Amino acid sequence: MTSEAFTQLVDAHYAPLYRFAMSLARNGPDAGDLVQQTFFIWATKGHGIRELSKAKSWLFTTLYREFLRGRRRDARSTSLEDLPPGENEPVAQDADRVSRIDSAAVMSALQSVEEPFRAPLTLFYLEEMSYQEIADALDVPIGTVMSRLSRGKAQLRAAFVSADTPGAKVLPFPGAGGERAS
Amino acid sequence: MTIDEAKFILCAYRPSGRDAQLPAFGDALRMAGADPALGAWFARSRAYDAAVAGKLRRVEPPAGLREAILAGARASGQQRGLGRGWAWASGVAAAAALAFVVFSMKTPARPDAGGAPLAAFAISDMTYARHGGRGEPAGALVAALEAKGARMPGPGQIDFDRLRDTGCRTLSFAGRDVIEVCFSRDGTLFHFYVARRDGPPGDSAERGASFISEAEGAAAAWSDRSYDYAVASKAGVDAIRRLL
Repeated sequence: MTSEAFTQLVDAHYAPLYRFAMSLARNGPDAGDLVQQTFFIWATKGHGIRELSKAKSWLFTTLYREFLRGRRRDARSTSLEDLPPGENEPVAQDADRVSRIDSAAVMSALQSVEEPFRAPLTLFYLEEMSYQEIADALDVPIGTVMSRLSRGKAQLRAAFVSADTPGAKVLPFPGAGGERAS
Repeated sequence: MTIDEAKFILCAYRPSGRDAQLPAFGDALRMAGADPALGAWFARSRAYDAAVAGKLRRVEPPAGLREAILAGARASGQQRGLGRGWAWASGVAAAAALAFVVFSMKTPARPDAGGAPLAAFAISDMTYARHGGRGEPAGALVAALEAKGARMPGPGQIDFDRLRDTGCRTLSFAGRDVIEVCFSRDGTLFHFYVARRDGPPGDSAERGASFISEAEGAAAAWSDRSYDYAVASKAGVDAIRRLL
């Protein structure tokens, strides 16, 4: 791959990859590392992919795998089977509530969703991936994607409600502004 | 199909409507069309999804990330098997893999020198990024850099935490904080970068300056036991040589 083609690849995908990484890592520096690491792997391995149409899926899959690889095992993590079913009833004011708050707060609410649900939810919202594309990117069955989307949306909705509750606040995530000082 | 089953499936329906023709949604969509309550729920759900997606897409990556990716990838060439923090690791930037002209000033450039990625990053940052913003400690550092004939500052003159915490411009490169200040010497503008050393345990060797030159400008990078440094300028390698 030529330097020019690599630059075009970075320009096309680094921003959405960063948003995906932000939702997973929940802080700017780690998200930046994940994005850089993903492109580094592309530079050393991904250049073998001839079809650039598959580059996007490859990049998201690789970033997610890198995140999982680097994540510490949490012994207290909850088994998915133990979680309550998703609540599919959107409150009438949900869309209005979201439109009133800024992007950083929405990202912060997304980051509060448990990780197994957060990854498919992020790909659904940010990349508008279909359930099939999400299943391919995360290497999980289609039924699991649908289940995680349903439960993830319920958790996200709960986070917005919590943010509106007096005494509760969705805090902006660190590094949302890019450079931390200027 | 029950109402709850329809809602479960429609949760995966993209708000733009791109899934309208997918068979997996067919029954649930027909049900939403026939049941006013379910239809209203689906309309609210899509509006909510569109609002969330719109907000999330406004989150911008930090300044300098694009340049760091490009500089790191160019500097690393085709090297394989490096982990997190690769761009700064001691194995990065073998001179033969660099796409840049790298040559030594005082000492030969070590094949494993960690400074070349920082130098490449410095050129990219100098070329593309916005600069400005200083605190009082940064002002003192700039004054020291601008003193005629002064050598580049070392660990005793740099309080990294204080510089960062008092408003000095701070970038992120390969997960590390990098302090940057601009200064002028003899009418030429330079950009000075400092980052803490973070090599493998025991890797605290001082490294002499190595230089890279690109169409956009030139940079030199060197290291002492505490920090990696880089200076970049559009005036070219000779101007940087005179500075060092």
